[in-house]
Amino acid sequence: MNNGRATRLIHSVCYVRLAVSEPNAGARFVSNIFGLQIVADQDGEIAFRSDDRFRTVSLVKNSADSASVGIEVWDETALEEIGRRLRELGFAVREATKSECQRRYVQSALLAEDASKNRIDLVVRPARSGRRYFPPRDAGVAQFHGVGLRTIDHVRDIGFWRALGAEVSDWVGDIAYLRIDGLHHRVALYPSQRNGLLYAAFEVEALDQIMQNSYFMQENQVKIIQGPGRQSASRQIFLHVEGPEGVIFSYVNGMAEFGEKPRPARQFPLTATSLCNWGSESKDVPELSAQG
Amino acid sequence: MIQLKDVSYVRLGSPDLESAENFATACLGLQVAERGRKALYLRSDERAHTLCYSEGDARDQTVGFEVEDEASLQDAASTLETLGHAVHAGTAQEAEQRKVKAFIGFRDPSGNHVELVVRPERSGRRYFASRDAGITGFSHIGLNSTDPVRDEKFWTQVCNARVSDRIGDIPLMRVNAIHHTIALVRAPQAGIQHINHQVETNDDVLRSYYFLSERRVPIVFGPGRHPTSGARFLYFRGPDGMIFEYSVGVDEIKDEATHRPRQFGFEPTSFCMWGSKPAGMALPNK
Repeated sequence: MNNGRATRLIHSVCYVRLAVSEPNAGARFVSNIFGLQIVADQDGEIAFRSDDRFRTVSLVKNSADSASVGIEVWDETALEEIGRRLRELGFAVREATKSECQRRYVQSALLAEDASKNRIDLVVRPARSGRRYFPPRDAGVAQFHGVGLRTIDHVRDIGFWRALGAEVSDWVGDIAYLRIDGLHHRVALYPSQRNGLLYAAFEVEALDQIMQNSYFMQENQVKIIQGPGRQSASRQIFLHVEGPEGVIFSYVNGMAEFGEKPRPARQFPLTATSLCNWGSESKDVPELSAQG
Repeated sequence: MIQLKDVSYVRLGSPDLESAENFATACLGLQVAERGRKALYLRSDERAHTLCYSEGDARDQTVGFEVEDEASLQDAASTLETLGHAVHAGTAQEAEQRKVKAFIGFRDPSGNHVELVVRPERSGRRYFASRDAGITGFSHIGLNSTDPVRDEKFWTQVCNARVSDRIGDIPLMRVNAIHHTIALVRAPQAGIQHINHQVETNDDVLRSYYFLSERRVPIVFGPGRHPTSGARFLYFRGPDGMIFEYSVGVDEIKDEATHRPRQFGFEPTSFCMWGSKPAGMALPNK
């Protein structure tokens, strides 16, 4: 996985920046309903924490520099290597300006696009917080976990992620679960008619919090997109809820580790039981349903 | 004192054995052990049977508890008679119907039919479920009580039950290490309020939630988690209105000598810490 290097090229999925038309309305959902802590509201960008990082979610008013997913790169050397590889493969990559880095709370960054034109920020030294995380309600969020991305060109997009050192852990149809650390996956690519973020996933402490949040959402009449359920391949328990302007916010828990022993990626058929072995189904989001 | 070892079986009357069998196998997931003309025996674990439907009135509901031996049974009979409970000594034929060596029957102070049994049969063959519900065994019952304070005294002073926790005045009582075997439920009349089977994992509780929902089985409470026993649960309605429960992860009381019952307030969060609300199932009244 380290491509012959002593360390990995990338370390974590560290933030999502969501472009919305009504950041303040979105912010009420993210804090009051989903339960993340608001930490900053600067230049029309509202930032939220979910763990010891300074921020993991931002809501941005639709603009030229809006939606993106932040990937923490090991160091500057790794960033150079990634830049070289992506350019070689023909992906759009450019260095972030100082003000773009400031907006992202990172030291330096390459702003890239995958083949589907999903914007991926490759960042070095994202800001941490000295204060512990203090959420507005007891949703039990432990940390930002990862993302699901829509892809319109999954072959080339997997090439993009492989250039960063990610590997496919398992397939469900052509849905690819991508591993970047010891866990089964942090990024999942969902074949779709369009690009963009499908979900941002936040790990909670235990099944208790998945279920408590499920009843909390029902009581607050927030639409549950799917769940409570359990992914068959990763064994991760999930609850997908409808967030601002169609983005899905997910509570997750219990993802399996990939394990020390190498194995080929397993192929699961694109069926409802491959996506959820408890029996939950998504009626409205085609990427999450087995109608491939 | 009457030493109950464990809950052994439930016997339910039903006017429609065919529906009872359909539900027990296709929904609940029990194994048919024996199908008589007027009785249906069902297995849930290593025992020869833990649930028996017999043709009759659905109000005929009996719970059986195992005691040590026939001497204990005789002692129990005289204890009960001294207290003024009419005791029925089971005939050989009745014992055979219950797959036990010997038994006596009586009514508790609320009027519930209770049987004390000796040497209930085990099966040589392992339990093989009719559907993959993950059932590991029959575990406890909810028992109606017209006066929980009075009935707690009966179960804990005449019998050997111990209170593990209380919600309001409602005691959850154990007869062995398992958090509770008898949960009293305030009700206007005697009867069995629910029948619990343990399942293997959380997954089984949630899978059954989706499985039973799809089959339009009324889910009356859950999926949820009891803060008292720690169990994850699902309650649903079966034939003749009987409520069945799946649960997993019931605490064991490790230190019998020093355990003190905890008092929970009589409120919804004392019954479910996840936030599920009963629907079509009465919570024990205060």
